[in-house]
Amino acid sequence: MSEIQIAATLDCRGLTCPMPVIKLSKAIRTIEKGAVLEMLATDPGSVPDLDAFQKQTGHAVIEQSQADGVFRFLVKRTK
Amino acid sequence: MSDDEVKRILYVQTSGVESPARSATVFFLAASAAAMDVEVGIYFTQTGPTLLQRGTPETLRVKQGGATLSHFMDQARDLGVRFYVCQPSLDLNDLKMGDLIDGVEMIGGAAFNNMALEYDRVICF
Repeated sequence: MSEIQIAATLDCRGLTCPMPVIKLSKAIRTIEKGAVLEMLATDPGSVPDLDAFQKQTGHAVIEQSQADGVFRFLVKRTK
Repeated sequence: MSDDEVKRILYVQTSGVESPARSATVFFLAASAAAMDVEVGIYFTQTGPTLLQRGTPETLRVKQGGATLSHFMDQARDLGVRFYVCQPSLDLNDLKMGDLIDGVEMIGGAAFNNMALEYDRVICF
């Protein structure tokens, strides 16, 4: 999994609902289809929100982790 | 676009400038939905249209010392959320279309009910 190429990083640390998802929605359009966006967030609500985001939009959260209060998501643009 | 049909949510905002704490949530949720590629409309009725009066969003503070309503409203509109009003609720608040911010669409009761039946969900505030 360490081979994943990250096209861009979106730093949402310190932002609360609904900003992380709104920023993600805009940022995912700036990368190529098939590319992967790294997103960092501190709002615990971003975990269920990204799950909802991938269900509704079809973009894929391919990796998710947490360290020191920071959630890290890798989101692949699928369309 | 995904193969699935686009989903649609219609929000109904029934409170206005008299209760600032009730003014922003609808824009938060509408923006969140639009960010997930949901097609979103907000129908302003009862005192809701007062939020759309020109000059109001820039001055109404959702919380004392907090951001103005325009911050939340612009966020929703940037994502394509559409705003609707109907004539009786403008009359109720002594407003005319010309008093409102640009881009608000006028619909009638029949159109609202039709939207309510056609959208996937209707959520009232």
